[in-house]
Amino acid sequence: MERTFNATWLVLIVLTIISAVFANLDFAYAALIILGLSFLKFIGVAFFFMELKRANVFWRVLLVAFVVLLLTVVWAV
Amino acid sequence: MADTAKIDYKNIFYPPGGILLWIIIYLELLTFGIALVFMALNARTEPEVFHESRMLLNTAYGAINTVFLLSSGWCMAQSVHFLKTENFGKSKLFLKLTLLGGILFLALKSVEYYDKVEAGLTVGYNVFFGYYWTLTLFHVIHVIVGIVILLVLGRTLSKKPETLKVEDYESGAAFWHMCDLIWLLLFPIIYLLF
Repeated sequence: MERTFNATWLVLIVLTIISAVFANLDFAYAALIILGLSFLKFIGVAFFFMELKRANVFWRVLLVAFVVLLLTVVWAV
Repeated sequence: MADTAKIDYKNIFYPPGGILLWIIIYLELLTFGIALVFMALNARTEPEVFHESRMLLNTAYGAINTVFLLSSGWCMAQSVHFLKTENFGKSKLFLKLTLLGGILFLALKSVEYYDKVEAGLTVGYNVFFGYYWTLTLFHVIHVIVGIVILLVLGRTLSKKPETLKVEDYESGAAFWHMCDLIWLLLFPIIYLLF
């Protein structure tokens, strides 16, 4: 369990640094990449720190559907 | 602990942290989500204003605060784990580190707010800063409430750990992680996207 938490934390920090780097690049798909990385961080916290991976599939699907829908709408408008 | 019975998390009525807390989490995420969609819609009509305003934000502050909250979330997950294994000493230690992360977040946010007020970038400066202040302050209120919840749980953990229910502790932890989740939506969209 501790190893999973440690690995999750490390991945989240690396993703945060990558997001900040992409924000300062003048790159066509930067917004898409930033939102994609924030999706991964969101799922990392929910599924591993909050242990949603152990919850009923209903709660998992609901959260993933919410964040996918939100980030897609924000990107698309 | 008063109740160490195994919880069947696969049961739809018992997600980790409790069903009531998860209903609150979804409602909170929905509230912030709707506001962020409206912010993106406004950005479409005034892209220059949003881009120039976004460039006035300190991305480093936002990134460091993300690290504070993620590290705090990691400590909270460890604290719950050690509580479940009845290692109260380590659980308490990680709870204190969790609180430290939250306090560091608030301290840096205060510095950021001070800079913005000094520069005249207040809530009425433009539409972007209206959203910036409303959303980040609303999030700060959640962090403060989370700190209070963790302080109450920490008091019980210090004085009568045997009376502390795992479900209650998980609920407090879930609320704290919710602050992470909200920030993980606010940071990229407000600080990086436009």
